Amino acid sequence: MKAVHRYGLPLTLAVLFAAFATISPSFLSENNLRSLFVNHFTLLMLVSMAMTLVVATGGIDLSVGTAMDMSGFAFIASLSNGLPPSLAIVLGLVAALAVGGFNAILIAGIRIPTFLATLGTLFIGHSIQQLATGGGVPIYLIAGAPRPIFGDIEAARPWLALFAIAAVAIVLGFSLFGRKIVAEGIAPAVARYSGLLVRRDIGLVMLGSTLLTGIAGIVLSASVHSYSPLSGNAYLMDAIGATFLGTTFHHHRRANLVGTILGVLLLSIVKNGLLLVGVSFYWQQVVNGTLIFTVLAISFGTNRKSLGV
Amino acid sequence: MPLPSERWSATSLLRTGAYGAFAIIFLWFAIAAPGFLSFSNLTDVVQQSAILGLLALGMTLVMIAGGNNVISGGIDLSLAANLGLSAAIYARLIQNGSDAMTATVAALGAGLAVGAVNAVAVVWLRIVPLLATLAFSKIVNGLEFVLTKNSVVTATSTAQDWLSGTGFLGVPEMAYGLVAISILVWLAVHATPLGLRLHAVGAHPEAARAAGLSVSASVAGSYVASGLLGSVAAIFSASLVSGSSPGSGNYLLPVVVAALLGVTFSRRQVSTIGGTVLAVLFIGLLANGFQLINISSDWIDGVEGVLILFLVGWTTFNQKETLES
Repeated sequence: MKAVHRYGLPLTLAVLFAAFATISPSFLSENNLRSLFVNHFTLLMLVSMAMTLVVATGGIDLSVGTAMDMSGFAFIASLSNGLPPSLAIVLGLVAALAVGGFNAILIAGIRIPTFLATLGTLFIGHSIQQLATGGGVPIYLIAGAPRPIFGDIEAARPWLALFAIAAVAIVLGFSLFGRKIVAEGIAPAVARYSGLLVRRDIGLVMLGSTLLTGIAGIVLSASVHSYSPLSGNAYLMDAIGATFLGTTFHHHRRANLVGTILGVLLLSIVKNGLLLVGVSFYWQQVVNGTLIFTVLAISFGTNRKSLGV
Repeated sequence: MPLPSERWSATSLLRTGAYGAFAIIFLWFAIAAPGFLSFSNLTDVVQQSAILGLLALGMTLVMIAGGNNVISGGIDLSLAANLGLSAAIYARLIQNGSDAMTATVAALGAGLAVGAVNAVAVVWLRIVPLLATLAFSKIVNGLEFVLTKNSVVTATSTAQDWLSGTGFLGVPEMAYGLVAISILVWLAVHATPLGLRLHAVGAHPEAARAAGLSVSASVAGSYVASGLLGSVAAIFSASLVSGSSPGSGNYLLPVVVAALLGVTFSRRQVSTIGGTVLAVLFIGLLANGFQLINISSDWIDGVEGVLILFLVGWTTFNQKETLES
């Protein structure tokens, strides 16, 4: 019983995987596994890796969708103005970094708590996008010459997700900076009195993590050949969900790499599996939510010692 | 560590900041926006703020009882989904021929049920509130989806006409509704032992427990009350738009913003009912004034964002004490 609270997430994952594979023969087909690991999975993985870094530092980032949108906007707008693809990608990443830099100034410079700072950024980002697109009109890139860059980005998706995982693994697990930010996340006051620059470090994390969300924004807009305003927000709540589901995998309920990967897997597999098993379209969300809620109930409910309320 | 007198002056400066921003924007609209100061316009603002206001009151209750740390403390992210589901239940029942009384009771029951599940998840299963209410809101959202097939459900009744109409002195009934419910909640939170307990439990759960208060009961109660307020907002919404429509999720973050903006209106930088009501009216005035002076509504989110950063930045600069996370 003691282990249940920690292994609720991987156990549920295994049970669901087996159940879906038994009920629906096509679940394990090459096509389905490929679409599972390439489509929803990679985008959510990129965003969730960014979120994991921030949460491990003791913050939260509500503006991940905004950074995605900004990079997608810069990327697509550059392409539609005839700039070369490589420059468009760079400009996309710069736009995302600008969002991260703005957060960093608010958090490290003005010392606003991360929740509020990124909430403010999210709202300002809404307005910027609405104003830049004349009230929210998408930018389509269908007409004109074929754009091989979209195909290249699609092909690179699994590698980009692996890159994100490797980057976060190295930063959190094998770097001095990682040791510092984890310490700051666990006990900010102790870290500060030990001479660590807590605010500066979380500012750096906000900045660095937007590189990953920026890549996600470019991948998203490349896959739909367009930019539609505020589309990144769909990933915000899932990324928070995956990261915090992942905390159930840690002794002390901290954000951690493996946990987040399992969380992303769970969210993606449930979405994909329910579709294949033939749960009515309208009921899918209810079942999806119930499964996630059950994992949480098992993980938290069996550990009476948790910090709780 | 600033001396108590310094701290007092710093927070009073902060309140001046929040009230000052309110006053400046009010004056600006009074001068620049034609018809802004008319009685009917101002009461319309209160009517249009009613739905956000009721949701924000619920959020404030949860934040008071759960403590002021937004990540590990009290937060109810299921309010927007609750609004959607309760409104859908209300509209479906009216559409199928039920009377308004039955529909109202069912909607309120749904809200209470949502609140009760949140309470169980947070208090007894001990799931972090941010996560518990977020995960549960997915289920609630899904149920709305099942009920409405993601389309508009039209419903009209005399009760809805009454609630969306105007009453005594030509003031919209919903404006009376928001004021009356705000006063009730204010009295409960700031003038009764119950409210004092709520504050004690949120500020120092350990001390409250040691003093013999039931932390669980207070926190659970705050989620149930929040659920109820969410469904009252749903009935308002169903009356205002004659039924239910998808997209209640758009309220999710504005409710958080309103409740947090409310903190900057309080003397001690904590969630209060009065502060939240002021913040909601502030946001309502902004939307109304922008409309009157023909500024695109695209600006509103950004102004709210800048406002919250400005006012909170003002706090942290003046308090010289970093807030956690």
